[in-house]
Amino acid sequence: MLKTMNWMPRLAFSPVGSAPRGDTLVVVFLRGAADVLNMVVPHGEDAYYQLRPTLGIPRPDDSRAKKEERSLDLDGFFGFHPSLKALTDAWDSEQLAIIHACGAPDESRSHFKAMELMERGVDDERGPASGWIGRHLASLDTGNSSPLRAVGMGTRPQKSLSGSVPISVLRSIADFHLGGDMRALQQMQNALNTVYQNNQQGQDTLDIMNTLTKLDPEKYIPARNVKYPDSEFGLALKQTAMLIKAEVGLEVSAIDLGGWDTHFAQGVTSGQMPNLMKDLAEGLSAFHADMLDQASQLTTVTMSEFGRRCSENGSLGTDHGHGSMMMVMGGNVNGGMHGKWPGLHESALVGPGDLAVTTDYRDVLSEVIAKRLNNSALDMIFPGYKPGLRGILR
Amino acid sequence: MTLTRRDFLKLGALVTAGATLSSCAPVYRRLAGDLPSQAWSPLAATDFLALQRMTFGPRVEERARYLEIGLQEWVEEQLDFESINDFDCELQLSPFKTLGMDANEIEAVSNQLFENYDREKAPQELRQATFLRQLYSKRQLYEVMVEFWNDHFNIYIDKDKCFILKTVDDREVIRKHALGSFRDLVWASAHSPAMMIYLDNQANHKGAPNENYARELMELHTLGVNGGYTQQDVMELARCLTGWNVKEHFWLGDFVFKENLHDSGVKKVLGMEIPNAGISEAEQVIEMLAAHPNTARFISTKLARRFIADDPPVEIVEKAAQAFLATKGDIRSVMRVILLDGLALAKPKYKRPANFILSAMRMLNVETNAVGVQDDLLRMGQLYFNWTTPDGYPDRSEAWQGNLMPRWQFAFALLRNEINGTKHHLNDLMETVSTGDLKNGVDSVAALLLGAPTEAAIRDELIRSIQAAGADEEETLQIVTAALIASPAFQWR
Repeated sequence: MLKTMNWMPRLAFSPVGSAPRGDTLVVVFLRGAADVLNMVVPHGEDAYYQLRPTLGIPRPDDSRAKKEERSLDLDGFFGFHPSLKALTDAWDSEQLAIIHACGAPDESRSHFKAMELMERGVDDERGPASGWIGRHLASLDTGNSSPLRAVGMGTRPQKSLSGSVPISVLRSIADFHLGGDMRALQQMQNALNTVYQNNQQGQDTLDIMNTLTKLDPEKYIPARNVKYPDSEFGLALKQTAMLIKAEVGLEVSAIDLGGWDTHFAQGVTSGQMPNLMKDLAEGLSAFHADMLDQASQLTTVTMSEFGRRCSENGSLGTDHGHGSMMMVMGGNVNGGMHGKWPGLHESALVGPGDLAVTTDYRDVLSEVIAKRLNNSALDMIFPGYKPGLRGILR
Repeated sequence: MTLTRRDFLKLGALVTAGATLSSCAPVYRRLAGDLPSQAWSPLAATDFLALQRMTFGPRVEERARYLEIGLQEWVEEQLDFESINDFDCELQLSPFKTLGMDANEIEAVSNQLFENYDREKAPQELRQATFLRQLYSKRQLYEVMVEFWNDHFNIYIDKDKCFILKTVDDREVIRKHALGSFRDLVWASAHSPAMMIYLDNQANHKGAPNENYARELMELHTLGVNGGYTQQDVMELARCLTGWNVKEHFWLGDFVFKENLHDSGVKKVLGMEIPNAGISEAEQVIEMLAAHPNTARFISTKLARRFIADDPPVEIVEKAAQAFLATKGDIRSVMRVILLDGLALAKPKYKRPANFILSAMRMLNVETNAVGVQDDLLRMGQLYFNWTTPDGYPDRSEAWQGNLMPRWQFAFALLRNEINGTKHHLNDLMETVSTGDLKNGVDSVAALLLGAPTEAAIRDELIRSIQAAGADEEETLQIVTAALIASPAFQWR
């Protein structure tokens, strides 16, 4: 019965190309539609302050505001929210690219639809059901059969990872053991080996168990003694660093940071959203510093499903908008601001008053895939889309 | 609840048992779910699958009853849930005082000292109660429906005052209407303070609209994302909903319509012009949404996905949607189509975490106080009322297939009796079938958990591999049972 009830078809796949693996890719997804106008603030634009009389982040030279509440100038026009301060190291060393007014064509302003389409990398529901990362893995044979080739950090696999290549979901390295005394454990392992003898996912899980017994996040010492934030996000990045250094075959790590759906009291320089930004910036900054020696083989992308309304709403928050922002960090990044800024004057806004999209998110991802992941099968990864290269990476 | 004489005597016995209840296994077990009084035999795959969709994993008695009366009568018996005596399960819930409380009462018992709230007490009681109902209730189809609607009208219990209000929403919205009329259900949900807080409608004011609830009401609760509404409709419905609010001081947590926050202009939603009419503006829209053909199709699709297959057959969805429209959203009528016409076409679905845990525990007659298993639910990603976004815990198989490890951990810990407040009695259970022989014993356990025994070769190899690591017969049966729960086949229903 077990044999015939094995309902987990792992589709046989024949990769389009084979090549040595490129960088390790880390994808951070800010779930809930991050208010990017308050992250990378267009302080050079008056309209920003008119649209956001309460929520606006003061100009870097605004003497009416306390110094620690002002935006941190990046290029004379844009500035970081003060809670993103930790990212200035990566920015100053030109290893951080920011693509503003970036996003997807979808205008539904629905989290679920937007995330679904973006993670699948498609224009509408008709595209393939698998995720863009899943198709990247399936279209490139890197000769890597590790069960940890692609890892979703958390409790559920990210949609972007789904596809014919098995991926692993990992909340904590330390969680990955069965417990029990040695004798019972051996009995259980033998039994699992038997019931999963024809099941790749089960065999992979047994393999991971053996690999991860040797790693302990509590005892891990990051390079340069950096400290990761004591948060789930911090742990996910720390474990990504551990897996990279342990050389267990990690090619992609997908990490979620949720809580960005700030309709209500999002906070200006302190509170809900600033706390999230702090977690984000301190996490990425620690990861950057910890991985400096591996930076030339590492690319980290940060994205969100869409942006938020340019004008603040009546509850000190922001409603769903359109244009968003992406960040790409790594040793082969052309640091600085990228993309065309559409402006915030009334005629430039789209829909109910939202930031326009001037760079499709797939342009950014395509460049990462083609230049850093050695994969040229872009027509398979983003079917029906002709990406333009933007000079974000080398 | 009216008590029969038998219930009354039972209750008397319980009260007498009093303080020793927890240490008095026989009394506890009688209430927890008796050991089956009959042996069990393998089931046809279609019957096992049907039972797995309509219960959280069939107990021996449920298998027997189903075989006795057949699908149609079983469905009718379960749809008429109020006629099913559930006294034993109700008794299990008696420690949870907050279940029956109003919001201000829950606030009072959660308010330890001034503003210092115990944000755990009420949610913990609701989580335990939900699990115990799913495990012990004889009204299984009803509990499956309650789970479905709790996903459909998802509320994240940790948002603001939802830790007080979700208990009320669960009782007055979800449980009250789970097998009633969809119109009443969505109406109750729209007036539910927990929903108002969760989707920010208490912050939706005249001149300062907040679109959150207006959008999800159409996208997730009624029409569906492709249901034919526009961004303009969302904004206009948000205006209709201005002033729908929650009391903050006296009668805290009750619904209130605040006229002074209401936008009094004319609105236009889905082509319908809505003159200034206060609270009844949004109520008109809710009536329209509840009766909309796209709502009928959206709800029928979701039900068919839950009960039949991830990609359900179109003809069943259409027939169910017709039943929805013909009965003005009578949920029982829709369910008759889904179950009686649809189950024959059912395809395997991956068990969601709660279903995985509950099916193992129900099939093996495990007793629990539902405390320790909360950790397992959290680790597997389905701690109740803990899904932050309003789409509810995912239903599709692929969403849950990422990590086998926590399921293996649960199976191993369950059979080693290492889960806090949870105990199996595998040996007693096996006495019901009194097999004697280990191979027969393994076949019986497999028939219980998988519907039918495994291939003899697999069974023998399984026994051999465990005994190779030095297990005696009793240990072997335990590890076999754990391995069957951990096995690929048991992950599907």
